[in-house]
Amino acid sequence: MKLNQLEFVNRKKVESDYEALQERLRTLPNKLSYDIMVPFGPLAFMPGKLVHTNEVTVLLGDNWFSKCSAKQAVELIEHRKKHVRKVLDDLQKVMKNFESRAEFTDLQKMSDVSFGVFLVNCFSNCVLFFCYTGKYRTAHKPHSKPKLSNVFEVDFPANGSDTKSMGHFQSEEELWAHLEELERQEELLGELDRMPNTAETNGEDTSSSEEEKEDKRTDLNGMYRAEDCITQGNFHKEVTNSDLFGGQVNGSTYYHSDDEDDIDVGDNSVPTIFFSHTVEPKRVRINTGKNTTLKFSEKKEEANRKRKNSSGNGHATPELPNIKTPADIYRFFVDVVNGEYVPRKSILKSRSRENSVCSNTSDNSAAEFDDRQGVQRSISCDEATQSDNSESILEEEEEEEEEGQQQLPKKLLPSSGTTEAFSGTVIEKEPLSPSLIPHPVIAHPILPTILERKSEEVLSKASEETPKRISKFKAARMQQPS
Amino acid sequence: MAEQIQKKLQGELEKYQQLQKDLSRAVAARQKLEAQLTENNIVKEELELLDATNTIFKLMGPVLVKQEMEEAKGTVGKRLEYITGEIKRYEQQMQELERRSEQQRETLGRLQQELQRGQGKG
Repeated sequence: MKLNQLEFVNRKKVESDYEALQERLRTLPNKLSYDIMVPFGPLAFMPGKLVHTNEVTVLLGDNWFSKCSAKQAVELIEHRKKHVRKVLDDLQKVMKNFESRAEFTDLQKMSDVSFGVFLVNCFSNCVLFFCYTGKYRTAHKPHSKPKLSNVFEVDFPANGSDTKSMGHFQSEEELWAHLEELERQEELLGELDRMPNTAETNGEDTSSSEEEKEDKRTDLNGMYRAEDCITQGNFHKEVTNSDLFGGQVNGSTYYHSDDEDDIDVGDNSVPTIFFSHTVEPKRVRINTGKNTTLKFSEKKEEANRKRKNSSGNGHATPELPNIKTPADIYRFFVDVVNGEYVPRKSILKSRSRENSVCSNTSDNSAAEFDDRQGVQRSISCDEATQSDNSESILEEEEEEEEEGQQQLPKKLLPSSGTTEAFSGTVIEKEPLSPSLIPHPVIAHPILPTILERKSEEVLSKASEETPKRISKFKAARMQQPS
Repeated sequence: MAEQIQKKLQGELEKYQQLQKDLSRAVAARQKLEAQLTENNIVKEELELLDATNTIFKLMGPVLVKQEMEEAKGTVGKRLEYITGEIKRYEQQMQELERRSEQQRETLGRLQQELQRGQGKG
């Protein structure tokens, strides 16, 4: 928009020049000759006469000249002015388009008032306020840069002046609220809503999230942070705003990375961003009371998990106790499930241990899980897709999960029975189960049938092996708790 | 394995950058041509406005060469056609470049994914 303004000004200037020229031409033939001071080189003038006042050599453009009378020259000028006016009108139309879009954000009013100030500030300030790109996600990150094309527009509202910024805050807040609402609506359909714990984590992450933005996970946290803002009000935004303004230079650097991240993340946002919670795993560990044994087993599997899961962490962490990775979840739940299911005799056996500690079966199940996970991962090309699936499934209610799980059992024996078991046995796990189960479960339904069969085969093999393992582990485990 | 992928990625990236440069060059040339096109259109119109009595000059270097009205009109018309032809050529070139750069982008993305997977496993 600024560019347009500048062009507009230029064109106006040109037109005024032409007007002056026309006047000059009209008065020129009034006299036969004029006494003038002729420029003589770059430094001197010389008295001289201007003759042939009616003859004018006009540049037609593209190195073409024509000698014509003053009147004809005037006509030519008139013709050129018409052309310039046409360009001006086009520019005005474009400006109007931009204005209409800017009004959408209610920023234009502000910009109109202090346009001059903003222009100066815009250049000095790198912090850009979202405008009307429609990329709410990027906008959510407090003062994250919108696309470059919108930079100019963004600059208006944004910020740079201190006093103005305060005023902007209020308007910005309104905008943020508006944007947040829109985003919320968007995400209601999406995955963010599924994470009840995000609010909790967001509070923690708000301060640190900005700094960590390099990681996708941190971005996700930032996303969550935005979510929190929505729920908790604009307090965070204000804080961030103040932070942003305070450290404009830093903020710009932030935002550069944010932009890059945003751009990248934005594309992947749905699947991966939401789930990676760096903070959550910590909490998960804390929550688990039963976890002692699990931790032990988990440690064994951590190596495997780390290799396998990067995105998986996001899913399970918030809701599952002690579950850092989906693998953990799977193990955890599988243990429970396994107990109920026949195919996993180990499960049955482990059932007795369910109450005591899942860890007993964890090792056994872990092996199974690993196999499964390996199969799953080998099968699934995109973790993102899995996560998406898982997320989408998470949104669904338990019933759906059960169905999904039932489907899985065909592929993976335990799931369906286990889900029911969960709901019946442990209420606490309900939130967990959906999150836990869907991740591994989701992968399967998505995967092609062939893969499922393979997984089935693998699982069947694993299940066959489990009883043997279980026996051994059982003994070990039995000894452990005792 | 990861190193190989990285090397491949580097190569593809360079190719992509080269394509981008070519594309920007083509765009700049096209813009220049467009400016010339508008200018020549104005000249044509102004020539219409003039009558045969005026003399028309063409600036060739430091010399203003006298031209006939008809000759001038013909020359300007031919130049206009030439410019439009050039613009079309550049358009095609740009489309081709865009297509190729799109392909490059896909390969780059694929390689990046492979790299990440390799790094994740390792």
